[in-house]
Amino acid sequence: MSLGRVAAIARQDLRILRTDLMAIVPLIVLPLVVMPFLRPAFRAAFHFGGLHNATGAEQVVPGMAVTFGFFLVMNTSSSFFREHMWRTWDRLRASAAGPAEILLGKMVTPLVEFTVQFVLLFGLAGLLMDLHVRGSWLELCAVGCAFAVFLVATGVAVTAVCRTYMQATATVTAGALVMAGFAGALVPFALLPPWAQAISPLVPSYWAMQGYKHAIFGGKPVVLPVLALLGFSLLSALVAAARFRFEDQKLGPT
Amino acid sequence: MTLDFPWARCIPTLTAVLKLRGVHKSYETVKALDGVDLDVDQGEIVALLGPNGAGKSTLVSVIAGLCKPDRGEVRLNGIDIRANPGLARRQLGLSPQETGIYPILSVRDNLRFFGELAGLRKRDLERRIEEVAAAFSLRGLLDRQGRKLSGGEARRLHTAMIALQRPPLLLLDEVTAGVDVQSRKQLLDLVGSLAGRGSAVLYSTHYLHEIEALGAQRVAILLEGRVVTAGSIPDLVGAFGGSFVELRFDRRPAGLDLPAGTVNVGENVLRVPAEDSAAVTAAGLVGRLDSSGATLREIKLLQPSLESVFLSVTAGTANGGPP
Repeated sequence: MSLGRVAAIARQDLRILRTDLMAIVPLIVLPLVVMPFLRPAFRAAFHFGGLHNATGAEQVVPGMAVTFGFFLVMNTSSSFFREHMWRTWDRLRASAAGPAEILLGKMVTPLVEFTVQFVLLFGLAGLLMDLHVRGSWLELCAVGCAFAVFLVATGVAVTAVCRTYMQATATVTAGALVMAGFAGALVPFALLPPWAQAISPLVPSYWAMQGYKHAIFGGKPVVLPVLALLGFSLLSALVAAARFRFEDQKLGPT
Repeated sequence: MTLDFPWARCIPTLTAVLKLRGVHKSYETVKALDGVDLDVDQGEIVALLGPNGAGKSTLVSVIAGLCKPDRGEVRLNGIDIRANPGLARRQLGLSPQETGIYPILSVRDNLRFFGELAGLRKRDLERRIEEVAAAFSLRGLLDRQGRKLSGGEARRLHTAMIALQRPPLLLLDEVTAGVDVQSRKQLLDLVGSLAGRGSAVLYSTHYLHEIEALGAQRVAILLEGRVVTAGSIPDLVGAFGGSFVELRFDRRPAGLDLPAGTVNVGENVLRVPAEDSAAVTAAGLVGRLDSSGATLREIKLLQPSLESVFLSVTAGTANGGPP
């Protein structure tokens, strides 16, 4: 294992990202645009529920971070599919970089993207939307780290399972919306129907939302959500390990 | 051309950079490679020739570590690719058949990436990029995006990306596919220069005339997954290069008594092996055509050459025509 080659692959993906920043628009720009529109509605919902100090940011910021965070799964997967589309995948495989170095290198850029999203969303919300973290920023970061690991591992698993870019896009888009719904990211968890609330703990996004909310409201530890997210990450990693074939030929975007 | 290969100076005698012994590879019921034996020495260009489906691309993939052989031995500079795939991969540079570059990155960044993967850093890397860019006529294009290159420029970049690594073995699969005459000549000259500097080159191609232009020391003809013959061009021409007469008719001739070894190589086109000289055989054939009911449209005399070697060796196979 050479960290130099891992870094080379990560740098190459960062160069590609820098050349085409559209990849991070859904991840970072869209939630920033949507949040101001939704915050008043969530503030009203919190007030109606008796939380008169709430600003609405406590729901809308983690909600949008979780919902749009799923684009990171697609970005991770895209970094593999585009190598196939550009016919560079076999060149990469025939290079000095080994399979583990390629995989690790390809995980770095999505983690950087997540970090930027996390800092911008929570940072700007703290400055502009009255988001008050009453618990701990450290706990908030711990939840963010666990969620990022889950998203990137799931991105590799999606690549392993899907043969075409369209399959991956459809899988991630549908999965993101369904999971956001069950997680209570689109509407407060308390407003979900009972059957949906019963299913929610089976959904990774639910634990991300719970973790963020525990850290923001304070009073409850984030250990369980973090462990749950790491457990789901392990599941994704196992799927990736079982199904990822470097010799598979994938069809990129047409 | 100012490329230098420091590792080549450390190898005192001519040695097999690539050694294949009994390499087998099957896909479900299809035998793609059926016991391939082949050596490529330091500084040697070996042309790999074969009809479509002969197994050339599979062989290149196996050597590059892109797919595993079912059986047999593949050694790069003595390193077994199964026992130590990472170290073995560092001995080779692959230029696949289809152009593979990063279209949204500049020529410089395309080169830089493969240089970084080869372990080059900072000043060494930048110097090497400049050298390779000069050698491949890419210096004025270094800041141009890959997608804005012409076909020939993209192909030069495609090959330059491995020349930058200066590997002991260059695996070149149809590197001139789809490029104009000028770029083709330039690429062939560069491949020759790379071999002259010490790289072993395995050059897979469909173009027979390229092999002579390239100055390949040996030709290996792959047929149905096996190397059926290998040797220098003069040796092969001496052993297999008979003359042929090629006849094109307006319709399929009937009742014509033709010598053994005659093959149909196209619609109403027959290729007849010459027993002595092609001209004498042609004269004899023309004299017997009246009764065939077909009109002769064209007659060609094919003298002993790499093409006639190829035709002799591949005669009788499903892809017996020229590749």
